[in-house]
Amino acid sequence: MSSTTVQSLPVSTSAAEEPAITVRNITKMFKRHRSHEGILALRDVSLDIGKNKFISLVGPSGCGKTTLLRMLNGLIRPDEGEILVHGQPPVPGTHMGFVFQSFRLLPWRTIHENVAYPLQLHGMGKDEIHERVMRYLEMVGLRKFAESYPSELSGGMKQRVALARALVSEPDILLMDEPFAALDAQTREFMQFELMKIWHQRKAVVVFVTHSVDEAVLLSDEIVLLRPRPGQVSEVLKVDLPHPRWDYDARARPEFVELRRHLWERIKEMVAADPQSEFFNRDGKSDHAAAQD
Amino acid sequence: MSSPGEAHPLPQRRPHWGPRLSHVNINVWRLLAFLVFLVVWWAVAKMVGQNFVPTPLETWQAAIQTYSNGTVPRAAMDSILVCLAGYVVAAIVAIPVGLLMGGFRVLGSTLEIYVDALAATPRVSFIPLIIVFLGLGYEAKIVVVFLGAVMPILINTYAGVLNSDGELIEMARSAGAKESQIFRTIMLPGALPYIIAGLRVGASLALINTVVAELYTAVKGLGGLLSIYGNTFRMAPYFVVVFTLAIIGVCLMQSLKVLERRMGRWRYNSSERN
Ligand SMILES: Nc1ncnc2c1ncn2[C@@H]1O[C@H](COP(=O)(O)OP(=O)(O)OP(=O)(O)O)[C@@H](O)[C@H]1O
Ligand SMILES: [Mg+2]
Repeated sequence: MSSTTVQSLPVSTSAAEEPAITVRNITKMFKRHRSHEGILALRDVSLDIGKNKFISLVGPSGCGKTTLLRMLNGLIRPDEGEILVHGQPPVPGTHMGFVFQSFRLLPWRTIHENVAYPLQLHGMGKDEIHERVMRYLEMVGLRKFAESYPSELSGGMKQRVALARALVSEPDILLMDEPFAALDAQTREFMQFELMKIWHQRKAVVVFVTHSVDEAVLLSDEIVLLRPRPGQVSEVLKVDLPHPRWDYDARARPEFVELRRHLWERIKEMVAADPQSEFFNRDGKSDHAAAQD
Repeated sequence: MSSPGEAHPLPQRRPHWGPRLSHVNINVWRLLAFLVFLVVWWAVAKMVGQNFVPTPLETWQAAIQTYSNGTVPRAAMDSILVCLAGYVVAAIVAIPVGLLMGGFRVLGSTLEIYVDALAATPRVSFIPLIIVFLGLGYEAKIVVVFLGAVMPILINTYAGVLNSDGELIEMARSAGAKESQIFRTIMLPGALPYIIAGLRVGASLALINTVVAELYTAVKGLGGLLSIYGNTFRMAPYFVVVFTLAIIGVCLMQSLKVLERRMGRWRYNSSERN
């Protein structure tokens, strides 16, 4: 059962100031092919995301994390409820960066051209584009691959290209859908560190989807735990570890350990209790069932 | 959603005869195949009788004769001109129409059924009609070639746009791309391999239709020569014309392959990896 020492917050979380993103009672239904009944991806989800906060969305597969991100970006609209980004309904653009779960690189463009893509759309000058693209390729460690094509890169490298592409327009809202899932352990740690640094240098709202509880606790100010079928907010947890977290061994802190244990158990419960889950009714002796997708 | 970084099985190399033979130039093999072909041809000619099938030597002599007096080159120039004219017009019409049909879904759905109907109708059935309207000159032949080549290019272009990747389109939209930018930067390059495939099918159909048109009008070009030599049972020069057509076909296809390779460098990169 859930631990009592973990501080669980009401849905509206952040400080007194006006939140950067407001999600009010949204519901989203997807129509199914050859079937009248749709599938309820999200039901009555409300959320406030404060200015410059780093938020993680965690929860079992199919609980609507990607759907929520797409709605925050303005790519799809909720059926009911309302989303406001800086007080306005969201419109896609360079002020928001989206790292997709699948890399979505243009196979006919080189790595350089792929990262340059969002800037080219908005008519930035060639020299400035080049300078920026190289800066972010450097950051993700792919400077040498600027002239390669995506088909010549490994999965982890492609994911870093997608990350550079989302960062290159220097958005003040960063939506990241399991951005580090394809990375090996060392690269992953390195990229987490880089992301913390970027976020620290030029503050932005980050909404970060991950299946790694460890990663969520390490990076976030707040963790939103979602429950599947239909997708709902299960609880919102505050991470009270001081920033910057690379200055000390955050993972060794008791708060860290406690939060991670709590989340892990909650997700494990959800997965075991979900009749549609592949892991239904397993007693969850193996932590991997819950921790990994 | 495919999980990122999924493991691919190691590519299975087709077994080959070790490094020794793979060092031999492919052209040597082609030459060897040609020699085998000549021997078989010669044997068939001997068996069937030389009135129907000339021997390679007779054909070679006929080639020297018809090439040196200019008969075949002149006819070939004629045919190539007709073929290229019809083909280029077909491409100029088919690609934009296919793109428009793909870009504007209503237009595409409306025209689709007529395009399919026209593509399914044997184009030969139009030839008498075209001759009635345009006579036996270049215009008629160019129209026949055009009709033969236009449909595969159009249908492929349309299919290419329709098949564009929804995930890439969403990525572009997320980056703030306007509809016109999505079309130009995502749908069009995505359709390019389809368009080139259509151009290749169109090219061979253009060549076929050139000969068909010339056979019908029977005065000029390689088709005209075929008709003359065929009717007078001069099989050696007849074979020369056939080979000339084959060579033109190979040249056309090779130049399109070069174009394809240049345009789709990324695809060749990916095939080298696997
Ligand atoms: N375009 C769509 N059409 C139909 N159903 C959809 C669509 N997108 C998502 N769904 C459904 O909505 C639910 C939530 O999907 P979503 O992709 O948001 O889950 P997720 O939390 O991102 O899962 P994962 O962790 O596996 O990525 C799923 O049941 C899915 O089947
Ligand atoms: Mg997802």
